[in-house]
Amino acid sequence: MPHTATPLHQLPKGARATIVDIASHSHFGELDAQVTQRLKELGFLPGAVLQVIGFGLFGADPVAVRINGTKFGLRRSEAAKILTTVHPA
Amino acid sequence: MSSSLLRFALVGNPNCGKTALFNSLTGARAKVANYAGVTVEKRLGSLAGLGRPAELIDLPGTYSLYVASPDEQVARRVILGEMAGEAAPDVLVAVVDATNIKLGLRLVLELQALGLPMILALNLADTARSRGITIDTAMLSQQLGMPVVETVAVRKNGVADLHAALAQCARSAGSRSGRLALPERAEAVEHLYARIDTLLASSVSAPSHAPAWQDRLDALVMHPVLGLVLLATILLLMFQAVFAWAAPVMDAIDGSMAWLGETVGSLLPAGILHDFVVDGLIAGVGGVLVFLPQIIILFAFILALEDSGYLPRAAFLLDRLMRGVGLSGRSFIPMLSSFACAVPGIMSTRSIADPKERLLTILTAPLMTCSARLPVYALVIGAFVPQHTVWGVFNLQGLTLFALYVAGIVSAALVAWVMRGRQVASQGFPLLLELPNYRWPNAYHFALGLKERAWIFLRRVGTIILALSIVLWFLATFPHAPVGATLPAIEYSFAGMLGKLMQPLFDPLGFNWQMCIALIPAMAAREVAVSALATVYAVGGEDALGGALAHDWGLPVALAYLAWFVYAPQCLATIAVVRRETNSRQATAIFTTYLFGLAYLGALLVRHIAALWA
Repeated sequence: MPHTATPLHQLPKGARATIVDIASHSHFGELDAQVTQRLKELGFLPGAVLQVIGFGLFGADPVAVRINGTKFGLRRSEAAKILTTVHPA
Repeated sequence: MSSSLLRFALVGNPNCGKTALFNSLTGARAKVANYAGVTVEKRLGSLAGLGRPAELIDLPGTYSLYVASPDEQVARRVILGEMAGEAAPDVLVAVVDATNIKLGLRLVLELQALGLPMILALNLADTARSRGITIDTAMLSQQLGMPVVETVAVRKNGVADLHAALAQCARSAGSRSGRLALPERAEAVEHLYARIDTLLASSVSAPSHAPAWQDRLDALVMHPVLGLVLLATILLLMFQAVFAWAAPVMDAIDGSMAWLGETVGSLLPAGILHDFVVDGLIAGVGGVLVFLPQIIILFAFILALEDSGYLPRAAFLLDRLMRGVGLSGRSFIPMLSSFACAVPGIMSTRSIADPKERLLTILTAPLMTCSARLPVYALVIGAFVPQHTVWGVFNLQGLTLFALYVAGIVSAALVAWVMRGRQVASQGFPLLLELPNYRWPNAYHFALGLKERAWIFLRRVGTIILALSIVLWFLATFPHAPVGATLPAIEYSFAGMLGKLMQPLFDPLGFNWQMCIALIPAMAAREVAVSALATVYAVGGEDALGGALAHDWGLPVALAYLAWFVYAPQCLATIAVVRRETNSRQATAIFTTYLFGLAYLGALLVRHIAALWA
């Protein structure tokens, strides 16, 4: 259901969500495919479940998530590539 | 069976405890840290007891062979034998954090496609067990087609099984030479993970879940407000500790050096040898040795924060803030290391993927107050700032020191902001910072690290500083004052001449010739300025020197001297490492010039502003 997908950086703290797609993002220019690849290598794959565990100093940038038991810090631009469907609370 | 040298390489994700494993296997005194990418230099150790000569290479932590930041590229190039003059390793020892097995196995499957003999070490096996993770190593070994052993790198005998597996491998593996080709990515990441899920389903029970206290701690540490309060508290505590806790030990060292001077002095007949030993050697070296306790406390804080897993969280918190000036959270680690010493700080910038950000970090990291500045700050603060208690908790001296640290940080931010040019923030490689599990720093590795740092400092005292003390004593003693001279003897010496020669240049800053003299040997190491001042003022002991300074300098000039030391690149080792890491004469020249310029300007401003106030 891509039309109801929420990018990761818009999720509230504590939210659990399933990844539906890693989209391209103009921010990274030519490197976009590489960033997508790296995200996938770290386990950000469609079907994986993640949880938002915290944010940096100002707003949702960077955002900390847990995926497969590992915690990562992602910038807003990276998080925006990760499209998710939120689990009901 | 061959007797040729067999080369093993340790490969694994950052934070999998690879370096601790390396230490345990080789007995090398390498440092263990929790931060991704701290092992940038190549580390080599010999492996004993394998029945043939063998060596182990510790590679930088890496997530992938295909997408790589500069330090991950080092790992890839070593594995493929692309480094100049080096063949690919004979055997890969893949290290996987047993509590984070999925991520680690993906790299293992990538490595397996290279076709090298491999051994898999499941590290942190004790932590995994305590979390209820059980791993059927026999099953995993059969499915992967490679030996699989559990290891606990920080425990005694925790690597015995791995050592046995290495020995087993040494009996069969042949030595090779040449390069490997990185195969085209054989399968999509999605397929790799699907395979891993199948593997794990049959050999691992209970998925990894960090204990709840880890999450509760994260809720505090990464809280936008509380986390920042915590960070500020830790830093303030660190600087307060450096001043308050070290004092008794420093007094003891100061006292025993004075006692040593008297005792040795009474044994030697009056004359040139007596003066050389007492005023040159003992006073010079003792004046710097006294700062060892402060340096140890500072390093203890940094090591503990590094090993516990706190530092990446601080980097996470500060990322947005640092991006505002063209840096990122990744620059926080080099910056923090530079509080101890800019040389390892600059070397650790290799984990910053964006070249522009890396250069900015290199150019600004030396503005962080390194431990070599502490002796100078401590001396001047001790002499000029009263021991008042402020707000019931802090003493004015500690606050002054804190202000000097803040001055360095704010200046670095401004310089980075000015230098970042038009390019806004880093567009290149993403932050993607792993936030590793919190761990108690291991006492053994912590002590090793601390000993290593203390030893580096003592070696400097025993070599550079000792030699410079001798040279300085010579400069300050010869030629002797003429018979019937009325001025202090040093005014007639080489040191006096040199200081007077430089002094006009520093006159606008209010520096007298004694202060100018101290700047020269301080180029080798800033803290030598202290023993240099002790020599030119011909006093031993920190208190006596402080008294002499308080008598001779005005407060505005003393503050200007502090300002000079905040900025001036008074350290040849730092300049050399900037040259090596940037590989650019131009960048090194810019680095040196802008810092000397800032130092002059800063000291000038401070002197005049302080004079207005006073």
